[in-house]
Amino acid sequence: MENVLSILFCLSLFYVSVTSRVKAYVTVLRVQGIILSVLLMIPFIYKFSIFGIILPATLLLVKVYLIPRYINKVILDLDIKRRIEPTIQQMVFLPIVIATMVIIFLASSILSKSTELDVIPFASGFSAIVIGIYIIMSRKKLIVHVCGFLIMENGIFLFGTAVASELPMMIELGTLLDIFVVVFLMGIALNKISSTFEGFEVTHLGRLKD
Amino acid sequence: MFEFSIFILLPLVTAGFCYFIKDLRPQYGASIIVALLHLGLSLLVFLGIHHAQLPTFFSVDSSSKLFLPILSNVYFWVVLVSYSYLRRPITPKAEEGKKYYFALVNFYLAANSAAMLSSHFGMYWVASEATTLSVAPLIYFYRSEESLEAMWKYLFLVSVGIAFAFIGILLLTLSAKGTVLEGQQLFFRDFIRNATKLNPIWLKASFIFIFVGLSTKIGIAPMHSGDIDATSNAPSPIAALMSGSLRLTAFLGVMRIFQIIHPTSSYEFARTLIIIGAILSLFVAFVFMFKVNNYKRMLAYSSVEHLGLISLGLGVGGLAFVGAMYHAVYNSIAKVVLFMMAGNIHGHYKSREVEKVRSALNILPKTGWLFLIAYLAISGIPPFGIFFSEIKIFEGILFSDRPYLLGLVMFFMLFIFINMGKIIFTMLYQKSELEPQTINEEKFELNHLVVIILLVMVTIIAVSSPEILYRNIMNIAKDYGMSL
Repeated sequence: MENVLSILFCLSLFYVSVTSRVKAYVTVLRVQGIILSVLLMIPFIYKFSIFGIILPATLLLVKVYLIPRYINKVILDLDIKRRIEPTIQQMVFLPIVIATMVIIFLASSILSKSTELDVIPFASGFSAIVIGIYIIMSRKKLIVHVCGFLIMENGIFLFGTAVASELPMMIELGTLLDIFVVVFLMGIALNKISSTFEGFEVTHLGRLKD
Repeated sequence: MFEFSIFILLPLVTAGFCYFIKDLRPQYGASIIVALLHLGLSLLVFLGIHHAQLPTFFSVDSSSKLFLPILSNVYFWVVLVSYSYLRRPITPKAEEGKKYYFALVNFYLAANSAAMLSSHFGMYWVASEATTLSVAPLIYFYRSEESLEAMWKYLFLVSVGIAFAFIGILLLTLSAKGTVLEGQQLFFRDFIRNATKLNPIWLKASFIFIFVGLSTKIGIAPMHSGDIDATSNAPSPIAALMSGSLRLTAFLGVMRIFQIIHPTSSYEFARTLIIIGAILSLFVAFVFMFKVNNYKRMLAYSSVEHLGLISLGLGVGGLAFVGAMYHAVYNSIAKVVLFMMAGNIHGHYKSREVEKVRSALNILPKTGWLFLIAYLAISGIPPFGIFFSEIKIFEGILFSDRPYLLGLVMFFMLFIFINMGKIIFTMLYQKSELEPQTINEEKFELNHLVVIILLVMVTIIAVSSPEILYRNIMNIAKDYGMSL
């Protein structure tokens, strides 16, 4: 089951690397949020506990409802155009993404021989981290940078489930809250940037230099 | 529970209070009381008079015993001058930022104390991310284009960096697979105790991620750019807070993972990485000091230099490590002094460009002299503390297995000293060609008094070399297994 969900997660990464619409990024974030929440809920099929359901529920609330809704609001308020304006064309970007993922999957299957780990979630999580960074590097719009950052965070989350790290619930909730506040602050900053610089692209940010 | 409420809960509650009370005066009063309580208790803990009992995920160990008073000392003086700073005239656009100032500063104190006192990697991560969140809006205090850009870059770069550190923490869990630590919580002390059993490959990977990620916050080259922009565009008290305490909080995270790696076979590898980062930082400071034309950026690069020096001490180990701990104390005080005086200069000339500041010694005699003395203090001129700690670091490097590093370090630092001096002397002495000289008496303000106290403090600590400070630093060195 974990493997199926991880592969779905990888597909969402492919989609995000070919799409040219900003809205599609938000949809992908929603889908990834759902996948991660389902992944967290799997243990409760066998053993239900009210206490343990808090984390998946919060994850669902933050990653599927609050953050995408907030980003959509920012897009609407700022009247950001639909296209993402990449610096690398999608047809070049996709092969890079595929090549990276192949390397990561091969490397993790080699690594799994010496350490016991779930190859598919591990590699999918790591791919999302790398692709998140690619997106940040190769897109002009700052709102897409935020999406890239969130894809990276989702990757880290999947990666965390793969290495079976069990952080206490309080800390997991803390990380979720932190991420939410980061996005919230970034949204406010974007609002200010669009009103001060009359644009929301990384090319506008070049004042601070030595 | 009492300590927990003073260190973390009380600042949090005060942050809430300051958020809802719109008047600055009660905000200031409450913040000062909290800062004073924090300073008092952390000094009691430092002196060993009081033994703190903290709930799960928090504890006081030798390194937090030293770093916590550094934080509360810096914080107390910064808050003390904040009110007079906030009363200065600023652009009408920036007025609205004032009402959040104390709330955010208090939140910063809570988050930073939590990060320093945490005994669990997850808790450390949550708290240090929270410090970024509290500082980012403060960078945008002036509501200018530059400060907005600086805030965005800092928030984004540091968030990505901290995310990297989280990957490092997850890899640390992976390194514990098949050992007694498998499935256990990520407490520092358990990992330190069982460090030799950890899988070396994953441990190395974990170290790389944590070190590179936290470098964005410490300001270690090549990840220093966001930090430079932020410190140079933030209001001076916040810049002092960042240089004096926030960078050290991130450095503490690197120290923790280094402590785990110390007894293992990956030690040499981690050491080399830290030394490379440190030398690169000194190099970056060396290069940019030649061309920097903004005096606050100059101070930010000076922070990169000194944090590089502290990291070098950590990497080299032995006596250099002891020197680095002393350096952390002295550097934090000297940075507060420098940034406060830079803030006065900025307040008068309304510009951060070196070109715009001329004959500051005539126009602002008190600030000018103190700025000059602070420059001497940061450059390691005796009798200020930095001289003694730098000598210790140099001695440590000389008698380590890599004595050649000393040549590089001294070369870089000599030119940093000369170039910083050139900039500061131009600002202080060179006469302006455009406008006639108007010599007016500068009023003696609270921040001048604070700066004098801090300069005296940094001298007295160095000259008297208190036994308790020595003992605490020796305890840290012992915990890190440094051979002296």
